[in-house]
Amino acid sequence: MTTVNIPPCQAACPIHTDVRGYVSAIGKGDAEGALRIIRQVNPLPSVCGRICTRLCEKACRRAQVDKSISIRALKRFAADRAKGEKHVEKPLNSYEEKVAVIGSGPAGLTATHDLALLGYKVTLFEAQKVLGGLLSEGIPDYRLPKKMVKKDIDDILSLGIQAKTGMSLGRDFTLEGLLKEYQAVFLAVGSQKSLIPACAGSNLPGVMAGVDFLKQVSKGKPFHPGKSVIVIGGGHTAIDAARTCVRLGCPEVTIVYRRTLDEMPAGREEVEEAEEEGIKLIYLAAPVEFSGNGKVKSVKFIRMKLGEPDKSGRRRPVPVEGSEFEMKADTVILAIGYAADAEALAKNGLEIGKKGTIVVKDARGTTHIKGVFAAGDVVSGPLSVIEAMASGRKAAYAIHRYLRNISDEETEESVELRSLDDRISGLISPAERQKMPVCNVEERVRNFDEVELGYSREQAIREALRCLNCGVGASIEENCASCLNCVRICPYGIPVPGKETVEIDISQCQACGICATECPASAIKLNIETKAESRAELEKVIDAAREEAPEMLVIGFYCRYGSPLGAPFEEDEVYWIPKLCTGRVTGSLLLYTFELGADGVIVHMCGDDGECRFRDGSRRIGRHVREAQKVLRDTGMGADRLNIVHVQEDYPGFREKLGTLNINPLRRGKKVKI
Amino acid sequence: MIVAELKPFEEIKEMLGDYQKVLVLGCGTCVSVCLSGGERQAELLASAIRMARKIEGKDVTVGEKTIMRQCDPEFIDEIKDEASNYDVVLSMACGAGVQGVSQNLGKIQVLPAMNTKFIGLAEGEGTWTEACAACGDCVLGVTGGICPLATCPKGILNGPCGGTKDGKCEVSPELPCAWVRIYERTKDLGKLKEVKKTIGAKDWSRKRRPGRYSVKEKETVKS
Repeated sequence: MTTVNIPPCQAACPIHTDVRGYVSAIGKGDAEGALRIIRQVNPLPSVCGRICTRLCEKACRRAQVDKSISIRALKRFAADRAKGEKHVEKPLNSYEEKVAVIGSGPAGLTATHDLALLGYKVTLFEAQKVLGGLLSEGIPDYRLPKKMVKKDIDDILSLGIQAKTGMSLGRDFTLEGLLKEYQAVFLAVGSQKSLIPACAGSNLPGVMAGVDFLKQVSKGKPFHPGKSVIVIGGGHTAIDAARTCVRLGCPEVTIVYRRTLDEMPAGREEVEEAEEEGIKLIYLAAPVEFSGNGKVKSVKFIRMKLGEPDKSGRRRPVPVEGSEFEMKADTVILAIGYAADAEALAKNGLEIGKKGTIVVKDARGTTHIKGVFAAGDVVSGPLSVIEAMASGRKAAYAIHRYLRNISDEETEESVELRSLDDRISGLISPAERQKMPVCNVEERVRNFDEVELGYSREQAIREALRCLNCGVGASIEENCASCLNCVRICPYGIPVPGKETVEIDISQCQACGICATECPASAIKLNIETKAESRAELEKVIDAAREEAPEMLVIGFYCRYGSPLGAPFEEDEVYWIPKLCTGRVTGSLLLYTFELGADGVIVHMCGDDGECRFRDGSRRIGRHVREAQKVLRDTGMGADRLNIVHVQEDYPGFREKLGTLNINPLRRGKKVKI
Repeated sequence: MIVAELKPFEEIKEMLGDYQKVLVLGCGTCVSVCLSGGERQAELLASAIRMARKIEGKDVTVGEKTIMRQCDPEFIDEIKDEASNYDVVLSMACGAGVQGVSQNLGKIQVLPAMNTKFIGLAEGEGTWTEACAACGDCVLGVTGGICPLATCPKGILNGPCGGTKDGKCEVSPELPCAWVRIYERTKDLGKLKEVKKTIGAKDWSRKRRPGRYSVKEKETVKS
């Protein structure tokens, strides 16, 4: 078993997306690269980029400094902006076995995708006319446009999936019949049943389930909820139903929730947006009776107070005696949750649990029928989209192992990085979280157009650069001479003398790279922007520059944090290379630039010490430049070929001196070979 | 720790003459610690040699390698095979290391890239001062832990001399007088009486050259 350090965001994500990896790619302006990383584990990037419940953001350590990275918005940016290249991977194998997947919600779609990539022939069955399950029918367009769901599904189908819509298990086919044609079956039929509160009048016309309401609207059926609507519940469905009513022209929409905002499963932004749209929220109240003559007219509520925490860790609401009050309503929408409803599958020989779920034998979704697997809501009860996807993935691999008769794979043990120490979080400079641009209220309440507009390129890059790069900092190699140089120069005081070598706590390291560039034994390895990567990038830039054959070739290094949107200034002969802090530019990298044939090198100084993202990096570069200048002077190359520039106005002076030195004597003609 | 500094590049270049294949050999202990001859500096020196030669239009192959210690034959053995591909080894170790490599690599010329300075004490980031003269007859026990031989320009055993002024040495206004430091320190320790005694002549026979220390031989004498 191997042990790997993983950042908290990746550990928290049910499908363990390499969040740090794709956020870093966006920081470089590389949406294509970001989407490639996302798609390695996530076949629904456009969907998750909009409606994921983002456990990653709750785990993000940037929140210890100011606010978490806006990870979901960055995923959406990658999914929306990457184009020109197909990111869907191709199957590596091709097996004869056929697998049937029943249900095309997130669990079914993920399993379909994974099984197809593993090399199986997959047929996807969906009872409704459109694929996607609740993604297509249960979430309104203003939050998740159907065309985005379709985009992700089309990519999955491009793997050669046969999709059969309007085909319902039990109505159109049986499990027994399927098993004759397919070697394995995966059941992911989701949660079908809405929960109804046990109080009088809940069956009155005008009282309806939230999911049913959203499905009707989504199918385009005309629906007029009347003048006043009460929505009961505090989850995404409750907010979605209320905001949908606003868009249908309903003037008075009130959400009543039995706990407080703090316990609400819906996202804080969603609640804020709902309030902006004129929706009223009443907390700490629960319905006791629906009344009306032939149709609901009013709802009696009772006030609640919060008691002891329940199993979910949230404080249990307790009724306050004698606090009943009444509210008028033309329509009441119940969105207090839903549950699996697999009773009908019992006649297929499946074991059904008390809560209407399919009983499975293990965490991989093996049912009591050979070759039949189940996962998602139908096994666990309601899950978030990302959790359902994770269960679909687990089942897909269980099916693969079953069909190939292979035992469980060895798993990696991952160690999650611990929180930042208060001392360290206090040293990290705050950077404001980018606000998601939204459609203005007056306009958005009139239609179902998407409310969130997505980050601009500039916003996405700025947001991505807020990432603390957890876990890719410095690590000590065995040739450490324990010279303690790093101990003395780390701006965060993280390296400490250890028993044999210096020790660096990777959970606290900020990945500035200062220690590594100054280590006399080159015994500190950086796990981001490594020495090899830096050299390779330099070679690439110089190769490309040679093609253009400029009269003078000048390489410029600049800080990505100081100039997030690109080169700090333009000059014809300057080819720029961004660095995560110019302090990472070592003397040897500067000299290598000349060995590759550059005539001059400039380093753009990002600012004074106080402005450096890493507190001290900009001061370090001065030393590296002087070190390389000495070699240039000693060898007769001329120290004036290299300098620091603070602003574009410094450039002409540098260029003039460079002119007196002529071309790099190591450059012979257009192409230089070392 | 032994502190050494890189020789002027002009001198290194001249020493190397027209050798075609040069192995720049860093040392992973003292000179790494004093930031002058470890892997990082070896990389810079190798780069400088390549550049200088190319400018002169001469070919050169420069290898870079750093071993744990150049004063131990076992570590030198690690590079025996590789070193045989080179015409010359440019050692970045202290003088002892240069000789260690030279004696253990057989018929390969080994040249020193460094000037060995002293046995020193770290003063924080990137600065060392001489602290021990390796005299073979330590007096630190009576001088409050401050060595008059290594820190007084005259190395006098009973000071201060007449050249001390306001706690500084006449050699340089920045240099603290070693004997004033010794006086203050022993006073703080309540041992002023000790230092008021005259320290007798040192036993310089213990500083016989070449110095030699053998645990084995010591044990033989004892038994």
